[in-house]
Amino acid sequence: MIEDIARLCGTRLGPGTLYGAIARLEQLGWIAPLPPEERRRPYRITAEGLHVLRAKLKTLQQFTKAGLRRLEAL
Amino acid sequence: MNRVVAHLLTRLYPRDWRERYGVEFEALLQNGPGDLRTSANVLWSALREHIFPTRGGNVDQPINSFGAIIKRPSAFLPLAMSLTALAMLGGAYIFGLATGHGGLVREPDEGAIAHLWQLLMAGQLPVLAFFAIKWLPRAPRQTLCVLALQAGAALASMAPVFFLNL
Repeated sequence: MIEDIARLCGTRLGPGTLYGAIARLEQLGWIAPLPPEERRRPYRITAEGLHVLRAKLKTLQQFTKAGLRRLEAL
Repeated sequence: MNRVVAHLLTRLYPRDWRERYGVEFEALLQNGPGDLRTSANVLWSALREHIFPTRGGNVDQPINSFGAIIKRPSAFLPLAMSLTALAMLGGAYIFGLATGHGGLVREPDEGAIAHLWQLLMAGQLPVLAFFAIKWLPRAPRQTLCVLALQAGAALASMAPVFFLNL
């Protein structure tokens, strides 16, 4: 997961930061644990998590579009 | 990362958190680099988890209830300190009556009981401040109830000092 995030965002999360995020996302009901695979435990995004993620990405998209438009006008 | 170091770092987290994430977190640490940056990140996250616990993802647990808050050391320690100070005064009063000194008498150099009383009353102030700072934003109503109890116990302990001019 850490490698995946590093590839996607260019930032390498520390294990403490990652598990802090996992615990909060699980507490919010946005992710749920899948059955453990040996000592590893994969997670899946819940329906509510998908809804929130979609809304967040939409906001980010609008923000990016507006930001780029303003930059082009400079 | 070294297995022992990974285990010790995981042990820094609160028990609730470890019960939920301990095994998988330790496995992640063992598979990752054992550098100083990783250790510092885990240290900081563990400290944060102690201050702002996520409770291991268990949202149904009523950790902000009065019963749960009063069990916190920072909640019951000031109460215990005030009650100990009061019990000391009571003990000294009874001892004074029993030995025929007519209860508590004011000593010129204040005496050991007075110094202990002062230590107990002053020592609880930082604990009280910590408790209020930590819990007021999270559970204001329950925290105010505990603070009222703590204030009541402190006043009860101070009352004999004022009324008996000790």
